[in-house]
Amino acid sequence: MSAENENVRLFRGGEIASEESPFLQSADVLVEGDRITRVGAGLEAPDGAEIDDCAGCVLMPAMFDLNVHACEPGKEQKETIKSCSEAAINGGVTGIVLMPNTLPAIDSGGLVQTVLDIVAEKSRIAVLQTGCITKGRAGEELAAIAGMAAKGVPMLTDDGDAVADSRLLRRAMEYAKDFDLPLAMHCEEKSLSGRGAINEGPVSYRLGLPGIPSISEEICLARDIRLARYTGAQIHIQHVSTAKGMESIRRAKNDGVRISCEVAPHHLIFNEEDIVDYDANYKMNPPLRTAEDNEQLLQGLIEGVFDVVATDHSPHTEFEKQNGDFASAPFGITGLETAVVSLYHHFIKTDRFGWDLLVRRYSAEPRRILGLDPVPVAEGGIAEFLIFSTERTTTFSREYMKSKSANTPFLDRTLDGQVVSVVRGGEVLK
Amino acid sequence: MSDENRIPSRKDLLDIASLSVEEIEHLLKIAVPFKDLFKRSVKKVPALRGKTVLNLFYEPSTRTSSSFEVAASRLSADVTNFTVSLSSVVKGESIIDTIDTLQAMRTDYVVIRHSAAGIPNLIAKHTRASVVNAGDGFHAHPTQALLDMFTIREVFPESAGRKVLIVGDILHSRVARSTSTILNKLGVEVGVLGPSTLVPAARHGFMRGFKDWDEAFAWKPDIVYLLRVQLERQGEPFFPSLGEYHRVYGLTTKRYQRVKDEGIYLMHPGPVNRGVEIDNEAMTYERSLINTQVENGIAARMAVLYWLKPDTGSEARGGAGAKES
Repeated sequence: MSAENENVRLFRGGEIASEESPFLQSADVLVEGDRITRVGAGLEAPDGAEIDDCAGCVLMPAMFDLNVHACEPGKEQKETIKSCSEAAINGGVTGIVLMPNTLPAIDSGGLVQTVLDIVAEKSRIAVLQTGCITKGRAGEELAAIAGMAAKGVPMLTDDGDAVADSRLLRRAMEYAKDFDLPLAMHCEEKSLSGRGAINEGPVSYRLGLPGIPSISEEICLARDIRLARYTGAQIHIQHVSTAKGMESIRRAKNDGVRISCEVAPHHLIFNEEDIVDYDANYKMNPPLRTAEDNEQLLQGLIEGVFDVVATDHSPHTEFEKQNGDFASAPFGITGLETAVVSLYHHFIKTDRFGWDLLVRRYSAEPRRILGLDPVPVAEGGIAEFLIFSTERTTTFSREYMKSKSANTPFLDRTLDGQVVSVVRGGEVLK
Repeated sequence: MSDENRIPSRKDLLDIASLSVEEIEHLLKIAVPFKDLFKRSVKKVPALRGKTVLNLFYEPSTRTSSSFEVAASRLSADVTNFTVSLSSVVKGESIIDTIDTLQAMRTDYVVIRHSAAGIPNLIAKHTRASVVNAGDGFHAHPTQALLDMFTIREVFPESAGRKVLIVGDILHSRVARSTSTILNKLGVEVGVLGPSTLVPAARHGFMRGFKDWDEAFAWKPDIVYLLRVQLERQGEPFFPSLGEYHRVYGLTTKRYQRVKDEGIYLMHPGPVNRGVEIDNEAMTYERSLINTQVENGIAARMAVLYWLKPDTGSEARGGAGAKES
């Protein structure tokens, strides 16, 4: 019988987090094969089962990140699909959606297939590849949308470049509707943001850096909402950084516009005042805004304006980030490995929100947006969860991180909480 | 002057914001005997004999680089001028590569000017040499601020409570940022005047804004500090024409008359755009401190070089990582 029980594991003594409750529930979890077969108190271990002691740990559904840059093909010095998926596992994430700003940009079915082939070979988690709205992300003509749809892209996006031409974007929305493809929007009015490097305000003045005014996001966001309402398209607003932008989305949702949106952990945790000594690990687009924005975005997340948390994981090499001036360093920070721990450290441990919010917004809802089933830690469900210690800490050292890049404000910082283990389909990934 | 060293030295001078009032007062104090030196036939002191100062200028500036050169040589340091040609930048040589080269040359002091904000901070982190920021982008120009303060102290020994009106392009001016910061630290009130395109709402909180010259004159400034203006920057226009700027914000003949009548001092970091910020006749005004600023620049920079202490490697580095102005 032992051969039969090779794939039987009992996770004993932990507590379970779910969408349904801000509180944890003590229970043992029995996994047989790729399924959770029993959840309950004081479960007996079947003969030959492996037993994991989960005392002091939380079992929660594994995370799913809708906004990730894996940089392959073309920018493998920053990240590869392999290193990116391993970074995801390290952070408790078992599904990622890749942005198409690779070299070349993913703007045809053939290129989507290229990525999917690499994924099949290199990744231990679910990886979905998005496609461009416009050819080469150049904002001039529509990309080969039908071919990409046939290859299963979950959404279209020009990633960090908003489609400036409103007529073209309108046509893209109309056309994408025929394929049931949502458009993921980075909202930036470039004529206002220009060469900006950080939020425009007292800090940009003090540092002598060109600013990115909040109206750059607000105006583009308002345009996109109106286009979506007019065309009936489904849109997803990426990495909202301004409270006023968020309010536009709240109104649009009340008006019945087909819109979802995400917030990144760094826009909840950091603001412009944290940018010290020109550290480009605090440089991303949209930029860190104000403490007031932090608070209001957090409220928005709690109130449900934000459908999902997504990290906008954007790896860059140390040379690119730290060997020149701040203004010319590339935008973006990594996030896959720090998201769960930092959200726990800053918000769950401090009672700003409950475990249910983390599970709903970073695990269940991202899957639902993609038409996938959530993976609750429940009897009969697929075993796809992470084991999180609230007693241990994590030091985000270069050695700890699996990403090829370490461009994060959390570099060498120690936070409470630790992703101890990650289980997917019965396989222990971490 | 060895007894003056009660204020511990720093490794770098990157901005004014990170200096304490005591440190600023100390620098202003040690600049006085350096200036007195200029009246002597032998203008040199041996303070930095055997030390090397590297003038690393990524942006052309004859005035500032020669001021540092004179300051360093009057302290008996050996000076190397390293004007970075565009070609090595085009070749892709990074700043850090350059710094590694300099480190190999065992330079004691690096005076750096660069068009990008924060480059001196970066260099300071990567070298044991003392780094002096000679202007980085729109960020900071701390030696200009020190020489300005020194100049103001010469006419107003009790400077606290005095009022300085800064006129012009506040947005793109590292001088406005650093000089206003030093004034504020030493209790001098700061007003600003200029078109709203160049006087951002998000500025230092202590900068009081005025709508026009009448309002600014009514505030009774002791000094009017004019900044150099350009019609546009990177293709972005900030006002319709230089002529219109002069009429609305320039020191016209009529406004100059009022400045004279009220005995207001004039300052300008140079070089002056005649006919834009200022009319010709104001250049010879007896209360113009513009040439004094140039002279005091040498004394102030001598004080800075004298006070800073390169990291010898035997102890932990200080100074770097200070907050920006």
